[in-house]
Formats: sequence, structure tokens, C-alpha cells
Amino acid sequence: MSHLLDRLKYLKKQKPESFSGGHGQTTDESRDWEDGYRQRWQHDKVVRSTHGVNCTGSCSWKIYVKNGLITWETQQTDYPRTRPDLPNHEPRGCPRGASYSWYIYSANRLKYPTVRKRLLKLWREAKARNSDPVAAWASIVEDDARAKSYKSVRGQGGFVRSSWDEVNEIIAASNTYTIKEHGPDRVIGFSPIPAMSMVSYAAGARYLSLIGGACLSFYDWYCDLPPASPMTWGEQTDVPESADWYNSNYIIAWGSNVPQTRTPDAHFFTEVRYKGTKTVGITPDYSEVAKLCDLWLNPKQGTDAALSMAFGHVILKEFHVDNPSQYFTDYVRKTTDMPFLVELEAREDGSYAAGRFTRASDFDAGLGQDNNPEWKTVAFDEQSNSFVVPNGSIGFRWGEKGKWNTEEKEASEGRSTTLKLSLLDSHDEVVSVGFPYFGGEENEHFTNNKFADVVHHNLPAKRINTVDGEKLVVTVYDLMLANYGIDRGLGGDFVATSYDDNAPYTPAWQEPITGVKRDVVIQVAREFADNANKTKGRSMVIVGAGMNHWYHMDMNYRGLMNMLIMCGCVGQSGGGWAHYVGQEKLRPQCGWLPLAFGLDWQRPPRHMNGTSFFYNHSSQWRYEKLDVDEILSPLADKSKWTGSLIDYNVRAERMGWLPSAPQLGTNPLELTKAAEAAGKSPQDYTVEQLKSGALSFACEDPDNPKNFPRNMFVWRSNLLGSSGKGHEYLLKYLLGTNHGLMNKDLGEDNGKKPEEVIWNDKGAEGKVDLLVTLDFRMSTTCLYSDIVLPTATWYEKDDLNTSDMHPFIHPLSAATDPAWEARSDWDIYKGIAEKFSEVCVGHLGVEKDIVTVPMQHDTPGELAQPMGVLDWKKGECEPVPGKSMPNLAVVERDYPNTYKRFTSVGPLLESLGNGGKGITWDTKEEVDFLKKLNWTHTEEGASEGRAKLETAIDAAEMILSLAPETNGTVAVKAWEALGEYTGLDHSHLAKPKEEEKIRFRDVQAQPRKIISSPTWSGLEDEHVSYNACYTNVHELIPWRTVTGRQQFYQDHEWMRDFGESLMSYRPPINTKSVNPIMNAKPNGNPEIALNWITPHQKWGIHSTYSDNLIMLTLSRGGPIIWMSEVDAAKVGIEDNDWVEIFNTNGAIAARVVVSQRVNEGMTMMYHAQERIVNVPGAETTGTRGGIHNSVTRVCPKPTHMIGGYAQQSYGFNYYGTVGSNRDEFVVVRKMKNIDWLDGEDNNTVQEAAK
Amino acid sequence: MRNLKIISALMDYPEAELLEGRQELIDELRDDVFLEEPQKAALIEFIDQICTSDLLDVQEEYVSLFDRGRSHSLLLFEHVHGESRDRGQAMVDLMSVYEKQGFEISQRELPDYIPLFLEFLSIRPEQEVRQWLADISHILALLEARLHKRESGYAVLFEALLSLTGVVVEREELKEKVASEARDDTPEALDKVWEEEMVRFTEGGAQDSASSCGDSLLTQRRRELDSVDIAKPLHIQPSVQPSPTGTTGS
Repeated sequence: MSHLLDRLKYLKKQKPESFSGGHGQTTDESRDWEDGYRQRWQHDKVVRSTHGVNCTGSCSWKIYVKNGLITWETQQTDYPRTRPDLPNHEPRGCPRGASYSWYIYSANRLKYPTVRKRLLKLWREAKARNSDPVAAWASIVEDDARAKSYKSVRGQGGFVRSSWDEVNEIIAASNTYTIKEHGPDRVIGFSPIPAMSMVSYAAGARYLSLIGGACLSFYDWYCDLPPASPMTWGEQTDVPESADWYNSNYIIAWGSNVPQTRTPDAHFFTEVRYKGTKTVGITPDYSEVAKLCDLWLNPKQGTDAALSMAFGHVILKEFHVDNPSQYFTDYVRKTTDMPFLVELEAREDGSYAAGRFTRASDFDAGLGQDNNPEWKTVAFDEQSNSFVVPNGSIGFRWGEKGKWNTEEKEASEGRSTTLKLSLLDSHDEVVSVGFPYFGGEENEHFTNNKFADVVHHNLPAKRINTVDGEKLVVTVYDLMLANYGIDRGLGGDFVATSYDDNAPYTPAWQEPITGVKRDVVIQVAREFADNANKTKGRSMVIVGAGMNHWYHMDMNYRGLMNMLIMCGCVGQSGGGWAHYVGQEKLRPQCGWLPLAFGLDWQRPPRHMNGTSFFYNHSSQWRYEKLDVDEILSPLADKSKWTGSLIDYNVRAERMGWLPSAPQLGTNPLELTKAAEAAGKSPQDYTVEQLKSGALSFACEDPDNPKNFPRNMFVWRSNLLGSSGKGHEYLLKYLLGTNHGLMNKDLGEDNGKKPEEVIWNDKGAEGKVDLLVTLDFRMSTTCLYSDIVLPTATWYEKDDLNTSDMHPFIHPLSAATDPAWEARSDWDIYKGIAEKFSEVCVGHLGVEKDIVTVPMQHDTPGELAQPMGVLDWKKGECEPVPGKSMPNLAVVERDYPNTYKRFTSVGPLLESLGNGGKGITWDTKEEVDFLKKLNWTHTEEGASEGRAKLETAIDAAEMILSLAPETNGTVAVKAWEALGEYTGLDHSHLAKPKEEEKIRFRDVQAQPRKIISSPTWSGLEDEHVSYNACYTNVHELIPWRTVTGRQQFYQDHEWMRDFGESLMSYRPPINTKSVNPIMNAKPNGNPEIALNWITPHQKWGIHSTYSDNLIMLTLSRGGPIIWMSEVDAAKVGIEDNDWVEIFNTNGAIAARVVVSQRVNEGMTMMYHAQERIVNVPGAETTGTRGGIHNSVTRVCPKPTHMIGGYAQQSYGFNYYGTVGSNRDEFVVVRKMKNIDWLDGEDNNTVQEAAK
Repeated sequence: MRNLKIISALMDYPEAELLEGRQELIDELRDDVFLEEPQKAALIEFIDQICTSDLLDVQEEYVSLFDRGRSHSLLLFEHVHGESRDRGQAMVDLMSVYEKQGFEISQRELPDYIPLFLEFLSIRPEQEVRQWLADISHILALLEARLHKRESGYAVLFEALLSLTGVVVEREELKEKVASEARDDTPEALDKVWEEEMVRFTEGGAQDSASSCGDSLLTQRRRELDSVDIAKPLHIQPSVQPSPTGTTGS
């Protein structure tokens, strides 16, 4: 507005008053024009929030609200300061986060509860026939034609809006029906990464746990869980915070693309270089991190373990043998299994193979140990010149107290010891020991380096008298040196005399495999170790999960872990491994567990490991092409190892190693009733039925409708869009809809059928009756769901975030109410619980449920099977719950009171206490506090007098009050509880913060640093940055492994027979998914087979998704793959061509980026590009091109199924099968017909390949 | 203008209540004095079509047209501001227009939801209504053309609104434009706008050797983009400035 009329042209006011000696003048003309500027940046309030689900950033953002609308966001810059000489954390937040606010009002936002039209129509008709919703649901799913009519159109649009009342009723009816007819274990839920928005995760998990549903693990399913970590440390994953990078003097970024995928933390990586820290990038392609580093090594993808074997060779030779570092020697003696003894098994040819650890029970009278002697490992002491049982092995953890520590003492009299690392100077004999060698395996896509399958080295051994007679033993130290091919002057096969000899595992040996020059290998190994020696362990490896996505991921990971341990880097500031993927550290875990899994009302919860679930129930096992022979050690007795991979998983479930859900071949609620009718305890009855064969495990007959996973909830996840390995199998078997599968199953292929699983020629399809997804956008998973529930975005709900990248706990805050009909996850599940409690009446009352629980890590159950593996089903032993088969726990469920239980803090916290990782403490005080803070329920019934959990903030307060990380009093209690086990006083670690209590409003005011707790192996204090295993090294708390130390050696029978008791290089497996289809469906253009790599991208996933227009703008706007110029030229592909990527698992259509960045032989597709944007039909399948997981199929590894064995025991997201996918190959060719399958004549024909 | 209330009701998510109100809607329309006869006839035909179909089918079509994607979004500012940061402020401004007239939003909807906006206009003076509709006529015309292309009956609602604006829309021209417009969820359109262009140091540089390579390419690119017909946000200058009811009094 010009204000033309406001101004006087001909007149003026009387001379205004002046001041400041005429320099200032008071006027009274209108200044309205300024408002335009003022209002533009005015806002009603600023709220602190962050981005949830799976970004490690957990960055602080200011969300601006004007008239109840979210208008924009900016980075918050008020983090607590770090100490002097350490850069501050901010600025945090990346462009992906900054582009998030548009999602809230986007046209793509989910606005209303939505139901597949055909299902809704059936439902309304059924409801008209039956007033009882459960009967109505039964009438739909029990009628094949009706069920098929809506299942078969999943993924094809056809949604209509519904109301919360109606959708809640359908869900409640379906859950009730399923529980009543098939069992609560047939209700499955999937949600990942609770650390980011932990209340939202807990909402669904609490509902499912209360009704007896099974939550699926995700960390292992995403293949981000590195099983190498539990194997080596007994720890799921613990890593340094990013600020600790700044304390490092030598950093290797190995397969981790820090600037691209860890944007807000990358500054520490850059800043530390100004101190003179050297940085090395190891990535096969010329990635962002390669550009940032001083040195770039590019091994061929999938061969990293060969590189690390050579690094290890140099380090061991120079720093342990030729010129030993005192620091390294002391470190490995005190903190690793190197001094421990391993018995040798005689082989027919007169050589030996390494067997299990020597145990106290091998000696007469157990070397003075009465408690768990079979779980106490033995070493040779230099001081007393005798065999001793050092403190701290896992046998000391359970059944006694005070000696579970790593002091240098022997346990019987407490004498101090110096354990002998090598028997070289005190051996009784020198014997030839065989080591499996895999580097010679043939694979058409990878270069091998041929040697004998078994490589023999001569080792110094001692003779011992055991209760089973005389045996030879060696130390792990001597085994390790031999395994890395270090000559001790004792001789053996292929002994290298120099780095230039081609003998396993010299720098020259790795050259043909990895393509990396030996000089660079020697240089990096020396620099890495030399720096660690001089700085006491300040060498670090930041590792990317891409390395973990190979079938033999444990070799990739153990390779670099070994380097770090050899050099004394683990548990030292500025040192150690840093794997920031997938789990993201749920810091207040002990406060969260009771909320999430309803442990305040009933224990134990029902859990299932995701990979085994999907492998079994989406019938991926029906297509298993990997023969067990192909992965066995040449030292193993092959006749022992029969059957298909699914058989191993079934055996693992039966032996109590892995969990089961769906659980047994019958409804567990019916099982307890039958037991009662038979006059027996539910446990005895179940064992009897299993033993007689009348009852089996559900996994043994997955095609039987009794064993289908009938209901599925997916929330905070795009399960089918980004994490559904074997995507097309999920579509076909779980959902029963259109799919692009081109594979032949074992029946059609005449393959080796499983031994433990019933085979049907036609696998069951459409097993899931109801798929419910909660999301705020129409994701691929939503497209395939029956019911889609609109949830609150990250600026519309109250929640908590923690991260492994920094030590702060951070809120998500509701800046406004959720837009349209959206609700927070907490409110959605609360609503479902309320409706369920109403609908179930008359169908379900107070019921007894029997839950099968595997032998779990951090419980006495981890000592179940010390010696050898016995299968009760084969009559090798008796079925004994908790010993040779899963524990059987009876849990009482009060179905009509589900809602009351959901919304109140239950009584078990007061009667049983709270805890985690094997320790328990009293928590009555905190529950009382919650009653005062949240108020109590006053209405009569199950929740009367109990603390309220009505809102998400109430739930957050429960977490914060109960967790040691956020309540100093609890932290002190927790350290004291741990002290009883270790016999040492650790409470000094929390005492200074005893009165510190972090509440929800505190973190809204400013992110707060958490308090040190024994849940984690690092410290949060004013003097050191958080670093994994810090308390193990500095507080002498044992690692939770067999020896209580970091373990180079894995002695379980399966580890030995599958050739992984020690580290080695294993080439990628052959998935056999390319050859059957290459050139079989020609389109006239040439084809090429390339390795399929799916790294994290620059333009999506974390913080925002790749269907965000801003992100699409920055990338190419649709699915793309990357390939090298060389490969493109071979098949006449040019940049931006449409190409088809396929194998027997499925097909993808995408544009191609031809780039010199990519090396020959591989193609990359960034993770999680959506199939909802820009996807034409694939020529091979005739259906719409799939996603990056369309060409994958899960292939589990038996060593990940091990259980009941100390660190190799099951834990939710801790141990179990993982969904690897990098060994996969695909055929790439230029497309001919671009068919959009939309009938709109936009189809085009592409020019033939030149 | 009560006819706006009718159009608003028809443009909202179809519920049973709408189907039951068929006769009422038709009667009201017949009495309307603002709409031309052909418009009325078309609207009545649309009402008949909606009200005699299966409700779930109508709802399914509605969801597929309006609840997904942006090209048919019923949020005005989706077409004006897209994902730009200005969108929040534009909504705030529109909300203050309602507030000045003593209204607040009683449903969980955004202020720029067209049926809501039409309801507001239905109780405003005729002159003001025509002015407002004229202001958004670009968007109405675009939606009309896009719905025509999809052969959706919903196009008649926008035709009727346009007839009230008195603005002459170059229908044929727009139709041609929209006809050549790729659907916004097709890849070619997206790719064309967002593709990373290869940097060329030799060709092209010769024509414009004076300016730096980057500059000339960028300019050239922009020119290309301007000529590409895709469903992109319209850049209407006065967005939805409250011209007739504005602060002229001050």
C-alpha cells in the first residue's frame, strides 16, 4: 500500500519537537508500512523438535508457529557447551532436515484414516449381517472368495476414507478373532529404531505386548546389526560419540561415507584434521568421503576382509613379534582372550584342528571351582608357572558374586597373575594345526588366490591332563599369529618370508584379490599401529554398514575389530570402532523397556527376530539355492551338516536358540486349557506334546493356515518400500497380490528340499488377513496396506530422541495439533486398545498364554549349553525347557482390561524391580514419584491407584524417571547393583550426579546430556568423550563373553564347523540368481551381470524421504542406478538411458547415471527410492518395476542362529540372523519399451543400444 | 451466493448426506439467479451422476483424484507456492481474512481448502465474491482443464466457478497447454526439470564466449525450463491478497 492518502501534500504539522541538539526529531506520521516486514518474520511461538525414526542426527530445530500453523524451521544453536579444547556440537541439522516442514501440509500428506474399498464394503455388509464385529470379521476371512477379493488388489489403489471409530473397530475385531482362533502370537508388529521417537515405538509395542502379539526385531533384519560385535564383545553395538573423533590421531573411514550420511557430525572429522590427524578413506567407489581424506584405498567391493588380513599381518609381525610394543602386549594380555587356552582336536592325518576353550571342568576338581566350572576358561600363569582360572569369565557372572571382573588375579585364592600370551618358550611339543583357507574359492566375478583348502602351521603346544585324558592345548595368541600367516620360526605350509611373498595373508597376497597395491597396505598398517602405540590407542575406524551387508559380514567386521584390538585402541579415547547404523542407541533403555513391552504388567514379552520371520513366512526358503556345503569349513565333517538353510533355523528354534512367532503349531491359549483339562502344568504338558510329536513348531509347517501370521502392524517404517528384502516374495506370499517374481522354487527346480519343514508343492499365498500401517505419507507400504492410519509428523507430537552420535537426549514437541484427522502414534494405539477392550468382551477374558522364550543373553540362560550341540527332536537329549529347548513361560492376559493396563503403570515394577543387561534394582521410589508426577487413576478397576499414562508426555516421564541415564538416583543404584557382581565399587561414576533428574520439560528447554550408566560401556562425564568399552578397560568390568574378554577366538561348534572361529577372508557367495535368467528374455539389447550395491543416499531417507520434491530436485527425480563408464560401454548404455535391472528375484526399471566414480563390475542404487514416483513397467515381468529390494532375497547364515552360549545367545536386536544382500548380482540392459502401464499413451520406444 | 455453498458441498468428500440431499441441491440450483442455464444443467447432471452411483465408488474416485498427488490438490496454495516456505505465511494471511469477518475454522482443515474458501464466499457480498474468484481464476481454470483431461465430472464445478468470475479464460489455449502437459507424476516431466545437465566446455561456449560457461548454460537452462509444460506451481503475483476487503479504510 502506498499510503498516498495518508500523507499530507500541501499541509504540514507544526514544527515537531527536536532533541539531541537537532539530530533527533519526533514525528507522528504513520509507520504502518513497517508492519509488512515485521509480520513476515513474526510468529506466535517457537517449539523445539527434531526428526524421528532413523536419522542418527537427532538435531535440535526451532519450529515456528503462526496462528496455529507451522510456517518454517531453523537450526537451534543452544546445545550445552563442550569442554575447552573440543569443538562444540553445533551447527547441527542438514538440508534434508531443513526441507521437512513442507511435508506437514503437502498434498502427499495422509489426512484421514483410509481403508481399501473392497474390504470396507465387505466389512459394512458383514456388519449389517452381524452386530458382533468379531463375527463380522470371521465372515469375511473365513470365506475364501471374500478374503481373496480384497487381498488380491493390494497395492492397486482403491482407497476410501473412513473414521477412527470404524477403523478401530475393524482392527479390534480382527485382532480379537485372530487371538481367539489362531493365537496372540499370530499378531505381528514391525517398527524400527526406537531411539528416534521412542514413545511412538513404545505405543505400538505396548499394545501388542499386552495382547500377546509379537514385535519383530529390525536391526538384524536391516542387516545393520554386526553379529561380529556380540561375538567379539558380548555387546550389541557400542560406539564413540562423534565428538570423540576429535580425540583421534588416525582415522580410517572404511565404507562409511561420513560427509554424505552423517552430515551434522562430519565437522568433527574435518576439524580434527587441523590438529594433524591423518584420515584414510577405504571405499570401492570414489565416494564423498574419499574426497575428504588424505589417502584413498579402493579395494574391489566385497573383499575388505582380504585387505584387513594383510593389515593384521603387518601389525602382528612388526608390533607384536619383531619389535613388540609394550603397550600392545599389556593390553592384549589384560583385555583379550589371547592368553586363554584352546584344546586341539586330533585329525586322521596326524595334524590338529583348534577346538573349544579349555575349561576349569576339564581339570581334576575343576581347579577349585564348584560354580559353573564348565564356563570358566583357563590360562597359564607366568608367576606361579601353573594353570589358573582367571577372574571374569562368564561362569563368574552367574551363581556367585564378586569375581566377575578383569583384575589380573586367579579366582581360587586371589593371587595376582601374569598370563602367558605365547607358549613359544615353554611348549611341550610343536604340532601342525590346520586352518581353513577360503581365499581360493572360485567365483566368476571375483579373483581368487589359490592355495590348499586347509593351511597348516606349526604351533607350540602344552600337554595337560584332563578328566578325559591327556590333551594338547595352545593359546589364542599363538593361534592368531599362525592364522595371520606370521612365521614364528616353527614352519608350516606357505610360510611367508617377506611381505612380497604370495602366501596367506601377506600384503602381496591380497593384491590380486582387492586390487590395492601392497605398498599402500604396508604404509597404512604401519601408520595405524605406530600411532596407536605412541598415543595409547588413539587410532580409530569409522565403519559403514555397507561392509556389514555381505553374507560374510563377520569377516569384514572382525577384520577391522581385530586390528583395533591388536593395537590397544578399543576402550580408549579417540580410538576404537565406530559403526553408526541402524540401532542408534536408545540411551534411556532401562526406563523404556517396561513402557514398550508392558513389563510393568506382565513378563516376558513376545519377541521374534525379523530375518528368520520373513525368511520363513514369506517363503523365501522355498527358493534357497545356497547349499550348506558351500559355506562349511574344509575341516568340518560334512556328513553332520545336512538339509537346507531353513532346517538350521528350525533346529535353532527348537533348541531354544532363536525365538518363534508364530510360535507352536497351535493356539497357545488353547494349549494351556488343554493342559488344565489333562491335569498337568502347561509346561509339562507342552513338553510332552512336543516330545510325542503331537505338537510341532509353527516354523515346521509354515504353509498350514493354522500357522499364518494373520495380522500385521507396521509403524514408523516403510517395511515394503525400503526394508523388505525379498520384496516380491513378501508381495506374493504374505500379501497374496501381484508380484514380479521370476524364480523357480525347490519343487519346480528339483532342488534339495528341507528336512525339517513340510513341503507343499504350492506355497500358501496371502497369509496376512489384515495389514495396518501408520504413516504420515502415502508410502509404498501404505499402498499395500488394508488400513492406513494418518499419524502425526515430527512437529506434531511429543516424544524423545537419543542418538549414538552425541550424548544429548532431545524432545520431539507438538508445535501444533496434528493436521486433519492425524493422531500421534501414542493416541492411535491408545484408541485401538480402548476399542479392543470393548470388542473382545465375550470372546476373550482372562486367559493363560504360554510364551516360548529362547535362552537369552544377559540372563543365566546364556549358560545353557556349554559343551556341544544336542537336538532333542533327534533323540540326542531330553527336551528340557531353558536347557535344551526354549523356556516356557505362562503369562496371564487380561484382555478386557487391555486399555486400563495400557494407560497406567503396572504393579510388577514395584514387586520385581527394574533393570537391564543382567542387573536388577529396586525402583519403588521412582514408581511413587510417577504417581505424584502423572497423578493416579481414580476410577475403579485394574488401574485404580496406579500412575497414569494418558498422554505421550506421561509416557516420556515414565521413561525418564525409571532410566539411570536420566535419573541420577537410579544411576547410583544401577552401578551399585553391578558392583555386587564385579566385587568393585563403580558408584563413583554416578555419585556426583545423584540428584540430577531430567524431565520432559527440561529437554524441551535445552537438550540434556545423559548420566553414565552400566547399561552402556562408555562414560558421559566432563573429562572424557563417550567411547565404547571404556568402562571395560578402565573399570575392569568384564566383556559379556565366554572369557570375559574381547574375543578373537569363537569356540562354539557351529563357529568352528562353518570356518569362522578365527578371522579370515571369505569371498562373496554365489546367489545363483543371474545365470538362469541372463539372455533368457531378450529385448535385443546386450546384457551384463553386475554386483548390486545399495548404499545410503544423499537425497533421502534420513530426516526426509526421497519422494520429497526438494530432494528429487537435487537428484534426478526418480529411480536411478549408477554404473561405470567401462561397463556402460560394453553394453551400449549411455547416461540417462532407461535400463532394466533384473534377476530371478524380480526387476527394477530406472534411469542410469554413467559415472567414472563407480568401479567396473558393480552398480549402485541408492537405498529406499520409492516405487510411488516415476516407475515404468519392467519388460521382463510386465508389472511395474520394483524397488531396490526387488532383486534381493534373504539368505541366512547358520552361525547367526547359535544360542544358549554366552555372548552367542539370543537378545532382541542383539543376536540372530541378518538380512544380507550385497552378494547379489543383477543383469543390466538398456530398455526397449518404456511402458508406463497407465494406458495414457505416454509410452515410448528407446533407441537400441549402440 | 448460495450456489457457492452447493459447489462447496459437491467438491467436498462425498458422504451419504450428500447423496440424500440430491433433491435439495437440485431445487436450490434451479432457483439460482447467478449461474447461466447451461452451467446449471451441467451441475444438475453431475449431481445426478454422483448421487446415483455407489457411494464407495464415488469416494474411491474422489480419493484417487484429490487425496494423492498435487496436480488436483484442493489446497489453493499448493498451486501457488508449492513447497515454498511462503506457503505458511500465505495461509496465515488468508486465515486473518476469515477472522476479520468474525469467523474461525471449525473443522480440521487448512484455510486454503477450496470448499472451505467457497463456504466463506457464499456469505459475502456479490461484488467481493466475484473479485475473489477472479483472483484465483488461474487456478480454477487450471484445475478445470486438468480434470477435463482426466475425464472427470468434477470439472463442471470449476467451470461454474469460472463463469461467475466474468474473467475470460482462453479455454482452448489452456486446454492445449494442459493436453501437452505431462501428468506431474510421470518421470519425463520431473526428469526434464530436474536433470543434471552435463557440463560442456567446448560446444555452446563458442556462441557466448564472453560470459563464463556456467552463466550462459544456466541462462539457457532457465529459458528451456520456462518453455517446458508441466504441472508446476503458478506464479500469480498478488497471490490471494484481500483486495476488496483489505485495509483500504485506514
